[in-house]
Amino acid sequence: MTEVELRPAPTRPPSLAARARDVLAFEWTKLRSLRSNSITLAAAAIVTIGASVVVGRALSAAHKPLPGGIPGLNGTFLAYAEYTVIPISVLAVLQFTSEYGTGLIRTTFAAVPQRWAVLAGKAAVVGAAALVIGEVLAFACFSIVQAMLSGGHGGLSLAQPGVTGAVLAGGFVLCACALTAVGMGAIIRSTPGAIVATLVAIYLLASLCLVLPSPWKDDIGRFTMAFAAYQLTAQHPQAGLLTPWAAMLVLIAWPAAALLAAGFTLSRRDA
Amino acid sequence: MIELAGLTKRYGRITAVDDLTLTVRPGHVTGFLGPNGAGKTTTMRLILGLDEPTSGTALVGGRRYREIVRPLRCVGSLLDSTAVHGGRTAYDHLLSLAVSNGIGRVRVTQVLELTGLSAVARHRVGGFSLGMKQRLGIAAALLGEPPVLMFDEPVNGLDTDGVRWIRLLLRQLAADGHTVLVSSHLMSEMALTADHLIIIGRGRLLADTPTETFITASTRADVLVRSPRAGELAALLTAGGATVCDEDDGGLAVTGLDAPAIADLAAQHGIPVHALVPRQPSLEQAYLDLSAASADYRAAAQPSESGASR
Repeated sequence: MTEVELRPAPTRPPSLAARARDVLAFEWTKLRSLRSNSITLAAAAIVTIGASVVVGRALSAAHKPLPGGIPGLNGTFLAYAEYTVIPISVLAVLQFTSEYGTGLIRTTFAAVPQRWAVLAGKAAVVGAAALVIGEVLAFACFSIVQAMLSGGHGGLSLAQPGVTGAVLAGGFVLCACALTAVGMGAIIRSTPGAIVATLVAIYLLASLCLVLPSPWKDDIGRFTMAFAAYQLTAQHPQAGLLTPWAAMLVLIAWPAAALLAAGFTLSRRDA
Repeated sequence: MIELAGLTKRYGRITAVDDLTLTVRPGHVTGFLGPNGAGKTTTMRLILGLDEPTSGTALVGGRRYREIVRPLRCVGSLLDSTAVHGGRTAYDHLLSLAVSNGIGRVRVTQVLELTGLSAVARHRVGGFSLGMKQRLGIAAALLGEPPVLMFDEPVNGLDTDGVRWIRLLLRQLAADGHTVLVSSHLMSEMALTADHLIIIGRGRLLADTPTETFITASTRADVLVRSPRAGELAALLTAGGATVCDEDDGGLAVTGLDAPAIADLAAQHGIPVHALVPRQPSLEQAYLDLSAASADYRAAAQPSESGASR
């Protein structure tokens, strides 16, 4: 054959570290370049902090603990548990579903054909972002609510035993929810479907367990994300549920399972 | 170089790509032709590792696409130019692809210039026209300066200038030694752009040949004859060994005898001839003949379309 094929300049194949950096830079560039992501994040932060002020007022105005006996530390996370966790989880769902929806996923897989690498990249970037956001907002909520309580019922301080750990765990809960959401997005591919599945996993399974007859209620319920999160962020974890460390494992197992299932579906299914 | 060997893809009962074996060589613009639903896009998706073949292999530069590290430096592709996130700017879209394959920012600026998108680089893609998105897709394909380029229907949505720009770009890339595979259902465009043709129908290879050869070889050239005594002349021509078909407007389409022979025959019998036009077959005609020959193509193609064009 007289034809000469152009080949890329003979360079050494990139190291594993360089390839990891490529994928992280890819996903990070995509994440930060969507204005809607920053707007959602800002809105979530503002609403969470605003709602925490309301929670703080309600708690400090109450003469006795709130109905349901929510103790002081958990009260800290009332606003966070919804106004931070829901929007950030939805953003995490969109990491895959918006790419499937627009068809961009094929461009993504053409750029990085190793699908586990794409999943790992998205999970790492979203997980890290969620962890940072989660810690910042968990500490913000804690400071606001406890500062308002310190007038009346005597708020908690980070120096008290178990408190710092519980607040740190609050940030980790967001990371676990976001990673579960990334996995759901990859498995289900459609935005509405994946959002519903994620909210079921994060919230509704726990509510469903509450209506189960007594021994099952706790036996099954304690393995749900919501109960595990509750135990992890409580100063005095409820008897009959999991210890904080076991709760931590539950909160690792959910996203791990979702991401594993996602990896297998991604690598088997046609894009 | 793109090499397909026994490449087959079935979706349930539908065979979208059926035992394709072919090689796309560097230095040519290879036109990939076939009607909608013929399996062109599916073939390209198989080459890109987006779909897993049911059987057979697709190799690019000797490797399976999924095994290539930093593949944008080996293969540039444009499958669906609307597959972009409307909220991202053109620059950020290209930048994300660049960093994913260790390509520098300078190259992003270069391809934006090359495709005439510099002025709108900081605009969000959602507001782009189809033609602009097409240019953006081409910019993305050129990003890694890959030796192999694959475009699915690249002239869709482009205006006349855009079409000419693509044609020149493709020819230039081929002249520089790139492997260029371009799919289209527009025969006329391919006749101008491609110097080699791969034609498929219902997922099966119908032809793999230089454009020239295909046009001259696969269809018989014919001669259009007009005469006030057409019926009489037709009988004489048939007796003389020609095949005569009636055209709708009363003309005769004659094959088997060339124009001088027809003229002589008419003159011998004193039949007046008003027109005698040797006709070169177009790529379009050659293609239609080919697909008609490939067994009841059109009738059978209907049901497979929805599945095959996924």
